[in-house]
Order: sequence, then C-alpha cells, then structure tokens
Amino acid sequence: MNELFIIIFAPLVAGVIAWALDIKGIRELLGVAGAAVPLAYLIKLYPTIESDGMVNYTLNFAGFSFEFMLTHLSWVFAMIAGVVGLAAVLGIVSTAKKGYEWLFALMSLTGVYGVFIAYDLLGFFIFWEIMTFGSFMMVLKYNKAASLKYFVLSVIGAYAMLIAISIIYAKVGSFSFIEVYRAFSQDAALATVGSSPLFSRGEIALIFGLFLVAFGVKAGMFPLHVWAPDAYSETNQSYTAMFSGVLSKTGVYGFILIYMLIGYRLLYEFGTIRTVPKFGYIIAFLGGLTIIVGGILAALQEDIRKLFAYSSISQLGYILVGIGVGTALSIEASIYHAISHALFKGLFFLIVATIIYRTGKTEFKDMGGLAEKMPVTFAMAFVAILSLAGIPPMVGFASKWLIFESVISQNMPILGAMVFFGSAVGFVYLIRFTYAVWFGQRPTDLDDTKDAPLPLAIGMGILAVLNVVFGVAPGLVAQELNKIFGREVIGGTIWELNLGFGKYNGLLLTVWFVVGMLIAAIVYFMGAKVRKVPITDTYQSGNPVTMEYNLTIRRNFFLPLKEALSFWLRMSFDRFYKDVGKTVEDFAETMRNYVYNGNVQNYAWYLVIILLILAMWGV
Amino acid sequence: MIEVALKALFILIYATFVGFMFMGIIRKVSARIHRRVGPPIYQPILDTIKFFGKKENITHGLIYDFGIIYALGATILALFFIPLGSVSILRAYGDLILITFLLEIPMLGIMFAAMSSGNPYAGIGAQRALLTMLAIQVPLGFAIIALAEFYGTFSTYEIVMAQQISGWSIIHLPLLLAAIAYDIVLQAMFGKEPFDIMIAPGEISLGPMVEFGGKHMGILQIQHAIGLFAETLFFSNIFLGGAVITAFASPILNTIASLAILLVKQIAVLLIAVFVSTIFPRFTIDQAAKFYWKWPTIIAALGAILASL
Repeated sequence: MNELFIIIFAPLVAGVIAWALDIKGIRELLGVAGAAVPLAYLIKLYPTIESDGMVNYTLNFAGFSFEFMLTHLSWVFAMIAGVVGLAAVLGIVSTAKKGYEWLFALMSLTGVYGVFIAYDLLGFFIFWEIMTFGSFMMVLKYNKAASLKYFVLSVIGAYAMLIAISIIYAKVGSFSFIEVYRAFSQDAALATVGSSPLFSRGEIALIFGLFLVAFGVKAGMFPLHVWAPDAYSETNQSYTAMFSGVLSKTGVYGFILIYMLIGYRLLYEFGTIRTVPKFGYIIAFLGGLTIIVGGILAALQEDIRKLFAYSSISQLGYILVGIGVGTALSIEASIYHAISHALFKGLFFLIVATIIYRTGKTEFKDMGGLAEKMPVTFAMAFVAILSLAGIPPMVGFASKWLIFESVISQNMPILGAMVFFGSAVGFVYLIRFTYAVWFGQRPTDLDDTKDAPLPLAIGMGILAVLNVVFGVAPGLVAQELNKIFGREVIGGTIWELNLGFGKYNGLLLTVWFVVGMLIAAIVYFMGAKVRKVPITDTYQSGNPVTMEYNLTIRRNFFLPLKEALSFWLRMSFDRFYKDVGKTVEDFAETMRNYVYNGNVQNYAWYLVIILLILAMWGV
Repeated sequence: MIEVALKALFILIYATFVGFMFMGIIRKVSARIHRRVGPPIYQPILDTIKFFGKKENITHGLIYDFGIIYALGATILALFFIPLGSVSILRAYGDLILITFLLEIPMLGIMFAAMSSGNPYAGIGAQRALLTMLAIQVPLGFAIIALAEFYGTFSTYEIVMAQQISGWSIIHLPLLLAAIAYDIVLQAMFGKEPFDIMIAPGEISLGPMVEFGGKHMGILQIQHAIGLFAETLFFSNIFLGGAVITAFASPILNTIASLAILLVKQIAVLLIAVFVSTIFPRFTIDQAAKFYWKWPTIIAALGAILASL
C-alpha cells in the first residue's frame, strides 16, 4: 500500500469500523488511531519531501488516472489537518455519544487529506465532495435548517467548481495539475506574442468567477459566509475545532491553487493595480470586507458558539487579504496565518466544547465566573485569547504581523486599514467572551462545575503548546514555508523574522516581557499583603449588594456599537438569501400549479405545441 | 550584558520619573487654565507612595493581581522597543506595527483585572474602553500605514534617521495629515477629554479603576506614567524627528542633549493634549465612535493614499 493512500484513507477506514462496531471504548480508540496514523505518516514522509521535494503516486481507476502528490505546500496544509484533526478527535472522545459522529467526523478528515494531496482536478473535486458530505452529516444530526443552508451553499460552490473544471477539461484535455498549469502558462505566453489564445477573455473570467464562488463558500468569504455561523454552532463543538480549523483551510488552499494553475493567465489578461494582480485584488478586497463584517457581527453575538463562528470568518478574511495581494511574501504570510488560525481557533472551539460539555449552556446570559471552577480550561483560553488578539509572543501575532507588513509594503492603504480594524475588533469580541464566561459573578447553578475531561485537556494542551512554541520561535514555521517557494522569502533565524524593512524577534521579545513582568511583580510584592474579598464585597455606589443582584453585564454588552452601526446592520445577506430561496420556492409552486394543472386538454395542447415546433424545424 | 541591564534600568527610571512629572504637569497646567494654583509638580509621586503605604489591600482573586502586573510588564516592554535618543536597547526591533500593538496590550491587563472584580462599573468601563479602542483603530491604522509607505520601512529607528536627513515628518503633507489624525487619536490613548470615556470620572465612577485601591492603584499609577512617556516618545520619534545629536565630542553630552530635545518635543505633544482636554467636555461613546470614523479617518486616509502614490 502506498503511504499517501494510508494518509488519506486511514481516517475513513477507522471511522467505518468505529461506526460498524459501535462499542464504547473501542470506537474511541479506533477514532484516535484514525487521526494519529496519518499524522505519523506525514512526519515519516518529511525527510523524503525534504530531499526529493515531493512524494507522488498515480492510480488508474474507472478510466481516469488520479494523481496524488505530497509537495511542500500540501505537506504544510496536511500537517495542519493532522495536528488539529488529532486534537479535535481527542475532544470528540469526550463529547461524542454515538458511532455516527465518529464515522462522519473521520470521513471529513479523509476528504481534507484528499483535497490537500490530490494533484488533479477530478480527484480534488471528489475529495472536496466527501469532505462536504461528512461535515454536512455532522451538522444534520444537530440542526436540520442549519445543515440544509450549509448544504445548498456548498452544492452551489461545488457545482460552480465542477463547471469550471469541465470548461478546463474541454479545452486542455487533462485534469492533471501539471498539464493544466502548462496549458495556461503556454496560453499566457501565446497571448503575449499576439497569437490567439486557447481561452478567451470571457472564458478565463468565467473560470475565475466560478472558482471564486467555489472556494469562497468553503472559506466563508463575504458575502458567501452565511452558512458558517449556523453550521459551526449547530454541531458537536469538538468537531467544529476541525470544521473551522481545517475544513475552512481547503478553501484557502483552493485560492492558492488559482494562483498555481491559472495565475499567469489571469495576471496577463487583467493586469495589475500597482503591484497587485487585479484578480487578486478582488479576493483581497472581499477578504477585507470579510474581516470587518465577521468581526463586528462576532462582537454582537449573544451565543458563545456564534461568536466564535463569526470570529472564524473574520480571521479567514486575513488569509484572503494576504493571498489576494499575491506576492511571495504575502502568500507565505497567509499560509502562516492559516496555520496559526487553525491552532488558536481549534483551541477555542475545544474550549467552547469543554464549557458546553461541563455546563450544558451556550448563551452568555447563563454563564460567568467560571475561571475559578475550570482553571485548566481558563489557562488554555488565556493562551488562545492572547494568540487570536495578536498579542506577542504568541503565534497569532507573528502571522498577523507578517500580513500587515506584506500588505502595507505593497502600498495598499485601504487593505491595510481593513486589516488594522480587524485586529482591534478581534480584541473587542474576545474581551466580551472573557468577561461573560470567565469573570464576574457566577450563577449558583454553575457552582459544581468540574474542569475539562482528560482527553479534551490533552487536545487543548497540544494546541496551546504549539501556539506558544511557534510564537516564541516564529522562524520554525517561516523556514518551513520558505521551502514552498524554494527561496528565502522571510529571512532570519528560528527566533527571528526578517523582511528587510521590518524585523520581529520572538525570543528577545519574550525575554524582555519576562523582565518587564518581573519588575512589575517586584513592585507588586513590595506593597502590603492582600486580603481576598468575595465578589459581593464591591463598590455599588456605596450600596450593599448580595448574590441576588446581577452584577455582571451579560446581555447586549456592545449595545452602543449596535446603535452606532444600526444603519449597516439592517442589511443582511442572510435575509437576502432567505428571500431568494423563498422566491424560488414560490416560483416552483406556481409552475407546478400552472403546468401540472390536472386538465387533460392542457396536456393535449402541450403535445400539439411540441409537434408544431418539430414541424417548424422541418422534422 | 551588564551594559544592557544598566541601560534598561536607566530607561526605566528615567521614563518613570519623567512620566510622573508629565502627570504633574498635566495637573498643574489644567489648574492654571482654571485659574487655580494646583498641586506641586511632584504630587503624583507622593500619591503613588501613599498608595503603596496602605496597610491593607484587597484582591478578588489571582487574575485581579496578575492583570495589574501584566499591564505594567507590557508597558515596560513597549518602552524598551521605542528609540530613546541613542540609549535604546531594542531599537533594531522597534517595528512600527509591533510598537502600536505593544502600546495597546496594557489595556488588556487592566481589563482582565477590572473585569475579574465583577464590578458592574468596571464592566461598563471595559465596554467603553474597548469601543474607544475600536474607534481609534481606523485613523491610527491609516496614520501608521502612511508612515510605512512614505519611508518604505517599518523600523522606527530608521524613520528617525531618515528624518535627520529629510526633515521632520510633519513637513511632508501626507505625513502632516497622518500626524494630525494621530494627535487626535492620542487624546483617547492618554485618556483625556473629550475622549476619556473609558475612565469617565463623575459619570461611571472611574470605570475599570473603580475597584482598585492600595498597591494595585499604585502600580496602575506607575503604568500610567510610563504609558504617557512611551506614547509621547513614540509620537515625537515618528512625527517630530526624534533626536540623535552628534554635535558634541563627548557621548554623554550628546545623550543628554538628545534626551533634552526629546523631552521638549514630548512636553509639546503633552501640552496640546492638555489644552484640548481642559476646554472640551466628554463625548458619549457612540459620538466618539462616529467622530473617529469620520474626520480623523478621512484625514488619515487622505494622508495614507497620498503617501502611497
């Protein structure tokens, strides 16, 4: 058996067995093995990729030849899937109740590996569908409306991709990435010298548009993001760690594929705005809007799962901005952020899973003061908060910093400001989460809440450690990413990122941060001793308070923001899509009433009309 | 190694002392504007000493203490990255984006500590602080972008050096616009009227600070002093030319001269903030958001676009 095959199909096989046996204890073991085996093989194959640059395999099946190739790029993405997938599966050990969830969670993991490793458009599409189906089934179990919304949008995306692939196949005659790339770059070269190209301007624009829809849906790009808040929240939250951390990355990978396969041709056809390709600018601008819309909506949510769903959308926007700008540096920065997003968002959803598992509540109004009851989970949340908000020395800062520098150095002020706004709004919604869940007064029914179960704690631990390690040593990731481009895009050592016009040193910063904290701690311990007081012993305009008073603001925390933006919040793409859906349904109903009206004479008339048309054609 | 430690110690002590003097100047100048005598200029130091002299302090838990330490630690960290004439220790890594982020981190610590007290005033203060931060981020972002695009580098020290040759940033039109926007933003960063919405004395009982007393408040005073120093220093460096004096033969004289020049620039920045704050009443939070998303944003965006051409 080929190793690539084991990587791709191990989760699915494990999932099927787990589902078929469905014995408590064994299915958990199988599931963890299913996620751990591909990771082990990926690590094992690393030296081969290092020396040969790739591992490939071709399979002839059903008249098609499927190519699989593990390159540096796909290895990096597959590693995201491997690490976050393993952490999520450890979470599912605690939160899943049936074999059903194991089957589909692992099936979608297989789909993800397939998407990253496939090296032809057909295989890419097939695994894309497997992934979508697995995740759809995961959502379906919890909420039918949310799953259907996700499914319809995914189907629109997938068939847009299928049409684009068919157009390419019709002209190129091959699905293979290598052949397609060759055909398109040849086409660009032909067009440069003036001879007529294979693809016309309209066709190339159509292919780009279709791919944009296909990958935009999966990545949660504005305005195709509406499925994400529902689908991310209405499922097993441990699975969402994978759903948001890994499955959304296939959309990102797809955008990189656009550059890899048809980038030259698009660049030639549509030119550039300054140094940014025009087609990339579309991606980047939509990415910028995604950051803003996702971030603001995240701040206004009243449900912990929804908050992180929108936050996930918002962070994906950063990745799209970086990819859109399209220089080697910005794409590398995007992949970096894809890694760090997977790490911290996977961690966040595992934390959410723990909270929901332990308390059974999802809304902010029912929570508070959990930091004392769940110290381990809170410590993990602290790492995740620092990482997402982009606080040095966490990995979230290193990747955001790279995106800032790569965008601004291309003289793109508007995109830069969007990214800036995004980082502030990230801060804003995270504090809201912190305040409502961890701090303040604890409702009495949460008094006997326990800390995270062991498997979840291990899953969180893996991701938290990586968040810190990659943050202190940002060069570890950067040097790996440099290999994708085969040259030193980001310079520096493992502790340092050096772009020439900007430098960031994770280790030095950590050291000085520790020094600063030590100084602060010395000053603190110089003062007199402290006495711990209960939460009700507090200033309330000089009035006494008891636990009957609600001291913590749990609802509508950002009401002024809502009011300041009321004009913009009145527009909703969710509503727009619902209206479109309703219109289509009404139209179908009308057609049914008119065409199938049960009148025999009408059906006779249809026959006459068709005969007349045939007669006019001269049949 | 020892030299670096000595430098760090010097920067820290200098910044704390000058920061406290700045706080004194603010009180003195606003008193004179109101035709009062005002406290002596060293009053904030006495206040802080008194805070540390309290016999008993209260705490609401681990985060309540940790948040305060975190805030001061992060402020000290930010300080080390900003070039202070020729004495800075980490100026090679003094990246614009990094410093902008580092200057915001202390707020996280204060928020954490304040919120863990569970006081509703602290909660409302945190909300206002966050929305203020969200509001100022847009013009602030444009101003930083304008700088980076104009100079083609993100290193604060290189920007200072470039200004030695080509003159202060504010003589170039795009950067003048950025500086105006940044100065309006500074008002909120200092926590001065009309944007002291986060603290809002008299309106929400000091907001996040409401529960702190004793040594917690003392540390926050030190943090505020260093923060004032760092923010004015950063502004002087990027817009007012910083100071790298090489006129004297002795390096010590050069250092003293550049520190003196920086001090003059910092006080100028501070005085503008005081003048504005004493004559304007406070905005409400939604007015502040709308204001920052309008005029400063337009000005700074214009600057950024001009700088990118």
